Amino acid sequence: MKLLNLLRHISLKHIRLQKAQLAMAIAGICLGVAAMVAIDLVNISVLKSFEDSINHATGRASLQITGAESGFPEEMLDRIQNLPGIEYAVPVIETNASLAGGQERSIMILGVDVLQDHQIRDYSLTDESADIPDPLMFLAKRDSLLLTRAMAEQEGIKIDQEIKIQTVAGLKTFKVRGLLNPEGPAKVAGGDIAVMDVYAAQMAFGKVGRLDRIDVSLLAGENLDAMKERITLALPAGYDVDTPAGRTRQVEILLGRFRNSMGLISFMALFVGMYLIYNTVSISIVQRRREIGILRALGAGRLQIAGLFLTETLAASAIAALLGIGLGLLFAKASIGLVAQSVTDMYVKASVSELAFAWPAVLKNAGIGMLASLVAAALPAIAGARITPVSAIRAHSYTPDGFLLSNRIRIAAIGCILISILCLVLFESAAPGSHLRSLGLVFTAVISLLAGVSLAVPILLKWFIPLLHNLLAVCFGAQGRLAGLNLQKNVTRNGVAVAAILCSIALFVSSANSVNSLRTSLFEWFDSIIRADILVSSGHPLAAGGAPTIPMPGEMLGEIAKLPGVSSVEPFRKGRVSYNGRKVLLEIFDVALRMEYCPAMIATGKREDMASLLPGQDNVVVNEAMAVKDRIKPGDTIVLPTPNGPVRFGVAAIIVSFTSDSGVVWMDVNTYRRHWRDDLVDTFEVLVKPDAEIKTVRQAILDRFGQERKLFALPAAEFKVEVRKILDRSFVMTNAVNILTLVIAGLGIIVTLLASVLERTREIGILRGIGMTRSQVSGVVIIESALIGAIGGVLGAATGILIGWIEVEGIFRLDFGASIGYHVHYPAIGLALLLAIGLSTLAGLYPARRAAGTNIVEALSYE
Amino acid sequence: MNKILVFDFRLLILAMSMATILFASAPAHAMSGRQVYEKVHEVRIKSLNRQTEFAMTLFDKGGGTRSRAAVEYCRKTGPEAYKVLVVFKTPPDLKDVGFLVHARTFTDRDLWAYFPEFKRIRRIPTNSQDDSFFGSDFSYDDFGGPPNLDEYSFTILREEVQDGRPCYVVEVTPKVRRKWNRYVAWVAKDLFIHLKIEYFKDQEPYRAGTFTDVRIVDDIPTPFKMRMENVKTGHKTELTIESLRYHTSFPDELFTQRSLERAGK
Repeated sequence: MKLLNLLRHISLKHIRLQKAQLAMAIAGICLGVAAMVAIDLVNISVLKSFEDSINHATGRASLQITGAESGFPEEMLDRIQNLPGIEYAVPVIETNASLAGGQERSIMILGVDVLQDHQIRDYSLTDESADIPDPLMFLAKRDSLLLTRAMAEQEGIKIDQEIKIQTVAGLKTFKVRGLLNPEGPAKVAGGDIAVMDVYAAQMAFGKVGRLDRIDVSLLAGENLDAMKERITLALPAGYDVDTPAGRTRQVEILLGRFRNSMGLISFMALFVGMYLIYNTVSISIVQRRREIGILRALGAGRLQIAGLFLTETLAASAIAALLGIGLGLLFAKASIGLVAQSVTDMYVKASVSELAFAWPAVLKNAGIGMLASLVAAALPAIAGARITPVSAIRAHSYTPDGFLLSNRIRIAAIGCILISILCLVLFESAAPGSHLRSLGLVFTAVISLLAGVSLAVPILLKWFIPLLHNLLAVCFGAQGRLAGLNLQKNVTRNGVAVAAILCSIALFVSSANSVNSLRTSLFEWFDSIIRADILVSSGHPLAAGGAPTIPMPGEMLGEIAKLPGVSSVEPFRKGRVSYNGRKVLLEIFDVALRMEYCPAMIATGKREDMASLLPGQDNVVVNEAMAVKDRIKPGDTIVLPTPNGPVRFGVAAIIVSFTSDSGVVWMDVNTYRRHWRDDLVDTFEVLVKPDAEIKTVRQAILDRFGQERKLFALPAAEFKVEVRKILDRSFVMTNAVNILTLVIAGLGIIVTLLASVLERTREIGILRGIGMTRSQVSGVVIIESALIGAIGGVLGAATGILIGWIEVEGIFRLDFGASIGYHVHYPAIGLALLLAIGLSTLAGLYPARRAAGTNIVEALSYE
Repeated sequence: MNKILVFDFRLLILAMSMATILFASAPAHAMSGRQVYEKVHEVRIKSLNRQTEFAMTLFDKGGGTRSRAAVEYCRKTGPEAYKVLVVFKTPPDLKDVGFLVHARTFTDRDLWAYFPEFKRIRRIPTNSQDDSFFGSDFSYDDFGGPPNLDEYSFTILREEVQDGRPCYVVEVTPKVRRKWNRYVAWVAKDLFIHLKIEYFKDQEPYRAGTFTDVRIVDDIPTPFKMRMENVKTGHKTELTIESLRYHTSFPDELFTQRSLERAGK
């Protein structure tokens, strides 16, 4: 009995008869694969856009040297240029700016030594790669700028036109002295780039005597690693020497958590789809019991029977995977802009011009979809293969084979839950910094909990549904009672549908609670550190992924303080420094002033310890994430690189700060200026007098400085609203996939109920025969459907609350090391329950219609 | 016998006369391409002590023009070594922008620029004869041919009259990697200076220039008007000499970085 013959004569017949069921199953896997493909392609596209930007910007540079974010002394360039093995070493200034007027576009300013840069990057001022009518004038004038042709066309800017750009010294006029054709560096940042001479950029953006980067090419035959070491030894501590690929790797690490969480969520969509496959195959086996018995009697082996169902699943999943790829491409195209915006908001500027199609990623996800389908179908296929010919041929009413109610499943369910508890215990009891405090352990706890609860659902249904009979009868009369009985009849199959809803709702609720916890903790923390009434900066405080806005001269502090209604003004500066092979965030402010009006959230130490940060002392505080990662405690010392060499700082306390999960260091502004010789300010935090109005003071600030520079004077309340928007935006993709999993679960309910209606055809015929109306019949099915949703919703909400707690305790603490409290979002739970019931009810409409449309005579003769 | 000797002698004279006529009327690229450029080089070296005031006009492809005026001081310091100081006088935006060249040979030179707005002297990498001559469409080669003759091959293609002067039309092909594949130069036979030049890149015309208004100043032939066009971009540069003095003798202090910063004062 050949498999091919079985497929041709048996399977095809059933496909024709069960088109709707098969379509649902295919749809479920299709959506799961689509979610995975979309998220993978979006991630790849975002990373590729960084890689392309870096490659276009770096040209032939083999190595790149970076230092403090505020820049490092340009004398380092001479040191590098004179090293043996160096072919060319060219300086670079890289900063963000915005065009004043027009669309107020955010652009990257690339300051290069235009006389030498063509040695590294593929362009020249005097050939076809650029349209520069007067190269000498471009070099001679410090207001010279080159724009990309694309940007100039979009903004309607021509050569010799003057444009205004925000700089350290305020709004300055620059002259467009040429246009770059779309090649080489003109492709960086999606074409939103302007090129200046490096020394002109220094003067315009407050970096006189400093550089952001040195790009280096090596003489032929030089060993890259040896040169890297040679350059590192030639420089003081705190400089990074890395390949351009290494910079992409750094961005990849930065985006790692973002990518991992998106990947996990998309996998969950597939996980729910697996339930659908399991259910579909289980139902198919039950419906074809007789056929299986006949085949076995005719000599088909168990392996052949199992192989038949698995082959059917493989074929269906292959179709689903193909469709999923197409749908995934559409999802990816639709969502790429949103994801790029989220990455820009939270990390670094991302401008993705097109979706990067990667066959390996697409095929991998299609393969995972097919494999997941086979795994889901394996259990029922094996169970089906075990059906004996005699029991199969005898007419049985549809009863579950009892597998999911067996002791083995109960033990498995308990076992999974115990594994989850064990993982949590291990995690909580491990010391900070221990290997046991890992994401792997946290995910194992989450997956085990979900698996355990899912496996327990049939058992729970069997115990709890009888308890609901009276309630159902009271609420819905005979229809309710019938619905409850129907659910009880096939606990296994209905249990799988409940489990699917459970998983979706658990995901929904856990996301909502995690986000709520993060949001609540973030705002509690914000309140502790932002007591100012108005935040004054030259770019939007939340612009461009935390990339530095154009800093302002420190002298503005005195001018702002003199304005009527201003009680005090505090300067705030930030930057990144290298510490232990990564970049940590340095936050600088006036400690004496801050201690007066703004208590910091101290995790370890006392508030009074902050006094040791006061001027004249080289002390700092670090955040919990850094303290955990680097095992720092109060009283320890850390070495930070400064432009004048490494300096040892004492750690006074450990504070709560969510600004960066790689580490935050707080330093007094006087200490910073002493070591970094940098008196620029990123934000002025203005406290308004009690008797003054915030909007009046804000207007006074804008009036005072509006002519000379573009300023944002944002009331702190609005700032918090903006932060909330950014957070919400970052979770849009998560919410989209959550809803997707709910849809897949809904499909599972349709499949379950359709099968149920089919198997109860005779029963429905009898009910109709004794006088039940069509609407009453459909009512029974809809109530069943709603019950599945309600039970799945309640179990899912409870499980989701637990998973949310695990996420906060495990993932967020692991990443931020911060004391994020767990805050249950009750409105989200209510919404989840409504969604579960509503979606399930909706899913029940079609099966209800089929049931109501049953012909009495045909139904009574149905076997 | 005597009659035969007389007949042979007359034949010999006839043969010698015919040979003389033949050789006299043969094309004068009995001089090879290389020899032509050796002469071009000689003229160039003779002109190394000089002061020039020139005007440069840039024409962009849209028809816009930008003019500037500069003074150039040049001093010969060795067989092929020289120093140059160029200071721009107009327009006001370029006033006191200067360039300083210290050349050990025509290929081995250091070049610095000074831009008053930056108050900074900047070294300009000069590893190519294809470098733009002070922001114009001209290169250093355009004025005096390739410096290291061993790195090129020279082929006289034909002779032609250009601007009323008979010229060798010489194809110059580099043996080293250059921005262009070859150029064709019209070299005046009597003066050994370029009158016209055409550059080719990937067999397509790339740049084309003319050197006109040739005057003999102190026995040195000099084109007073030079024009170069970038065929690809449509950009043109016109350089006009307004005054010229040869055989000058400037002090070495004029050719220092300090002098560059002070615009030669």
